[in-house]
Amino acid sequence: MSPHRRTRRTAALVSAAVTAALLVTGCSSAGTGSDDPNAKITLSVGDFGTFGYKEAGLFDEYTKAHPNITITENSTTQEGDYWTALQTRLSGGGLDDIQALELSRIALATSEQLSGAFTDLSKAQGVEKEAYLPWKWQQATTAQGKTIGLGTDVGPMAICYRQDLFQAAGLPSDPAAVSALWAGDWAKYVEVGRQYQAKAPKGSFFMDTASGLYNGVVSSNAEQYYRKGKMVYQDSAGVLKGWQLAAEAVKAGVTQGLKEFDTPWQTAFSNSTFATTVCPSWQQANIEKYSGPGNAGKWNIAQAPAAGNWGGSFLAVPASGKHVAQAQALVVWLTAPEQQAKVFQKVGNIPANQKAYALPGVTDFTNPYIGPKAPTGQIFSTAAKAITPAETGPHHGDLHGAFSNGVLLMEQNNKSADEAWAATLQQIASTVQ
Amino acid sequence: MATPTRTHRTGPPDPRRTSRRSRLHRWDRTASPYLFVAPFFLVFAAFGLFPLLYTGWLSLHRVSLYNVDQADWVGLQNYWDLLFGPPSHFFWNALRNTITLGVLSTVPQLLAALGLAHLLNYHLPARGFFRTALLAPYATSVAAATLVFALIFSPEGGMANWLLGLVGAGPVRWEAGPWSSQFAVSVIVIWRWTGYNALIYLAAMQAIPRDLYEAAAIDGASRWRQFLHVTIPELRPTILFTVVVSSIGATQLFGEPYLFGGQSGHQGGADHQYETLGILMYDTGFHHSMLGRASAIAWTMFGLLLLVGLANTLIARRLRSAQ
Amino acid sequence: MSGKDDMTTIAAHDSPTIGPTARYRAARRRRPRSLGAGGQHRAGPLALTMLVLVTLASLFPLYWTVVAASTDSHRVISTPPPLLPGGNLFDNIGYVWNNAGARGMGVALLNSTLVAGTVAVSTVAFSVLAGFAFAKLRFRGRGALLSLVVATMAVPAQVSIVPLFILMKHLGLGNQLGALILPTLVTAFGVFFMRQYLSQALPTELLEAALVDGANSLRVVWHVVVPIARPAMAVLGMLAFVQSWNDFLWPIIAMNGATNPTVQVALAGLGTGWSTDWSVITAGALVGTLPLLLVFTVFGRQIVGGITQGALKG
Repeated sequence: MSPHRRTRRTAALVSAAVTAALLVTGCSSAGTGSDDPNAKITLSVGDFGTFGYKEAGLFDEYTKAHPNITITENSTTQEGDYWTALQTRLSGGGLDDIQALELSRIALATSEQLSGAFTDLSKAQGVEKEAYLPWKWQQATTAQGKTIGLGTDVGPMAICYRQDLFQAAGLPSDPAAVSALWAGDWAKYVEVGRQYQAKAPKGSFFMDTASGLYNGVVSSNAEQYYRKGKMVYQDSAGVLKGWQLAAEAVKAGVTQGLKEFDTPWQTAFSNSTFATTVCPSWQQANIEKYSGPGNAGKWNIAQAPAAGNWGGSFLAVPASGKHVAQAQALVVWLTAPEQQAKVFQKVGNIPANQKAYALPGVTDFTNPYIGPKAPTGQIFSTAAKAITPAETGPHHGDLHGAFSNGVLLMEQNNKSADEAWAATLQQIASTVQ
Repeated sequence: MATPTRTHRTGPPDPRRTSRRSRLHRWDRTASPYLFVAPFFLVFAAFGLFPLLYTGWLSLHRVSLYNVDQADWVGLQNYWDLLFGPPSHFFWNALRNTITLGVLSTVPQLLAALGLAHLLNYHLPARGFFRTALLAPYATSVAAATLVFALIFSPEGGMANWLLGLVGAGPVRWEAGPWSSQFAVSVIVIWRWTGYNALIYLAAMQAIPRDLYEAAAIDGASRWRQFLHVTIPELRPTILFTVVVSSIGATQLFGEPYLFGGQSGHQGGADHQYETLGILMYDTGFHHSMLGRASAIAWTMFGLLLLVGLANTLIARRLRSAQ
Repeated sequence: MSGKDDMTTIAAHDSPTIGPTARYRAARRRRPRSLGAGGQHRAGPLALTMLVLVTLASLFPLYWTVVAASTDSHRVISTPPPLLPGGNLFDNIGYVWNNAGARGMGVALLNSTLVAGTVAVSTVAFSVLAGFAFAKLRFRGRGALLSLVVATMAVPAQVSIVPLFILMKHLGLGNQLGALILPTLVTAFGVFFMRQYLSQALPTELLEAALVDGANSLRVVWHVVVPIARPAMAVLGMLAFVQSWNDFLWPIIAMNGATNPTVQVALAGLGTGWSTDWSVITAGALVGTLPLLLVFTVFGRQIVGGITQGALKG
């Protein structure tokens, strides 16, 4: 097909003219922008999962220092839902003053298609480029050198495990010994799963979901979904290995087969039905939130079989906002070392701002909820420094979603590995253009 | 109601004024009907007809959600893709699901409604209570109803599995299986609409002349035969109406499967096991940002609805000529 | 409840213009108290039992919503499930009230009320005007235009979602309540419904008398048509309100994300993982449903009448 390009402006004008007569309801947006720095304004922050700003009291702190500003947070649990809504709003309007972007979307957001919707934060007042991890900064920068997002956190991985369940299954429960069980190879992690399952307490599984395992394997691989600017997934080393191990885990019956981030997954934490979960730093917040106070002290943390980065996010300021300057100021403040350190201490997100590592209470931080005082600061900041970022691209998020769904087909829909693989490729062929 | 215009007539008529008045009056008489119907036609033109045609135009283009002002002409490519190309598997699957879900939810619903209307037509104590109670599900929104049923069909601690457990069956992963999920989704639809249709049937039943029954009774027809030979034929137009409305509704089924699926509801389940055409359109356009193809799905749905309408008309005509 | 049956009377207003068969049937329908098959029979124990069972099935999910909303996150998914209300109802409602969506369920309720209220008022107003014109005024093209109205009822809203989205973007109504209101300012159903009602209920003599007096058309509408149309306006208003309130697909696209949700958008957010706690989710469903349930318990009979009337005319 040879696309014959045409702009759609005329039709848009016609449509506007037809409907203009009907605009009697006067429902257009109220309130106009103001340059007065002391004018009363509301900044809305759209994010997903647990960014930890509310939890760490940062919004309160900021509004106290700036009494004219009110902050509202629109939080969606699952990034997939968040992104669907966000791309609709990027197109149709109605964006928040600040929008979070996840790693798997950042290549698309910085692409020519979408980067125009965001403002350049490298020129924002008070922003300190050197403070951010260089690769993180680079990921949010377009080919033209415009930086559309400031890094909030990175996702160095570990494995979180239930020491009580490990003991019950006759496995070691001390972090060093547990790390040694699977050191260096994700296949060993599945193998330990078999041992666990053989003696597991009734109704408990070794891991929550094989798609978590799949993501863990892919995230620790240098090759993921892109190679030299081209999509690769049928022969990507990371994808193939992750898929194979996920299939093995399903076959071995060591996974509970939950849909990650879905409601049953959340409730399973409090019901103690699985013993391990792949644990990027940001997952600690979920563990504490969903397991609840009743399970305090039961989780501990061990090193992942291989180091890698899973997720991590950025904050961006849409150009369409009414208070761009104020929003940028808030983003700069939220991603500054002191604030990232506070978020880390509260919910465990590892700072993307490397200056935060030098602050007291970060690398020497121990998480009161996890382990008997697990040295999570040290574990994750070491892992963060070891990250070599994998190549990413515009469809990273779509591919990631399709393969996670493919693993689910094996787990929940009784598909064989081959059937699920074929279905996943079919899905990608149909939806990724 | 007082007519205030009467006071005007008492004064001496001013010829100039009268003629202006009557001209205005005539203008008022000729123009006002058009002014009165204009709002409807304007709204329909702007938000019904124009979008419908615009959908057709978009369906011949490649349009990204990220830049809706740029459309690249692709001819019938979108339709070709749907029918034979990479997304065809999902299109046919969605079409199949729409039909099976439509049958699963509509047929039991209307049959139950008919029986229910018959029961309601007895002389009853507290009939007002029964009617309001049966209509309560209709007042519950799709979203609220689906959330509650999602909990009932939840794999963990759901009431449906508990009930199955009482009789020694289950547990069932309702959402994961193709039939179990479609059954569950149909239950939501049936729950919401049965009472509504029953009340429509009831009203039609009460409009049936009593002498028809008296004549049948004299012929010695049992109550059941009266139902079959008097009630059902007399209800024919009403039944047809509910069939039309329900099948139009079934073709557009969206909210129930979308919300029932939780995280994967946007594609009708991990395996698309209960993905309807409505969901496919939403997922294609607003999840995978392909507005052109989504428009092609929309027009295909429109064609399907026309077919459903045509089939209904033909059946109605045959029934009428058979009468 | 009075012994008089509302639905019979409403059903009796049939259209005299549909065709000879219909006219014949309509004439027969006008007989007073024509009750159907079982109408004169008392319900036997079997019939009554079945009816009670179906009614229970109809009400149980609503009862269960209250029960679930009054428990806590653990109790609600425990086996056996709770069958009696617990003590957390108001805590849970308070929680969704303050936290669901971006600004709580209160904003969502307000938004939904605004949208559905505006839609109901404008649908009624425009439908009365158009319905009156189609029922009683003579003008060129009346028959053709009326057929067009009926034909447009067959155009499903879902088909137009994508262009509506683009249109609203160009009108600057992305994420604005206006995007929900504009497309449903008046519906074909409303026009047709009013036309059917007025052609039956509005005596032509009354109209002629007013016109002979020289009243202009708007005056006639206000002083003659509206007083007579009032019951039908109430029914149509309620139907339009309910439909707008429960609308789902277009709002989740037009009001994407949680910034400015209607009740349904907020509930959709609850359902796709906003909360881990089923007792909170069901509390949200309860809060979103309660206003309409109240309206239904109070105006149930009129709404039932309206639905059946619309059905028998359609």
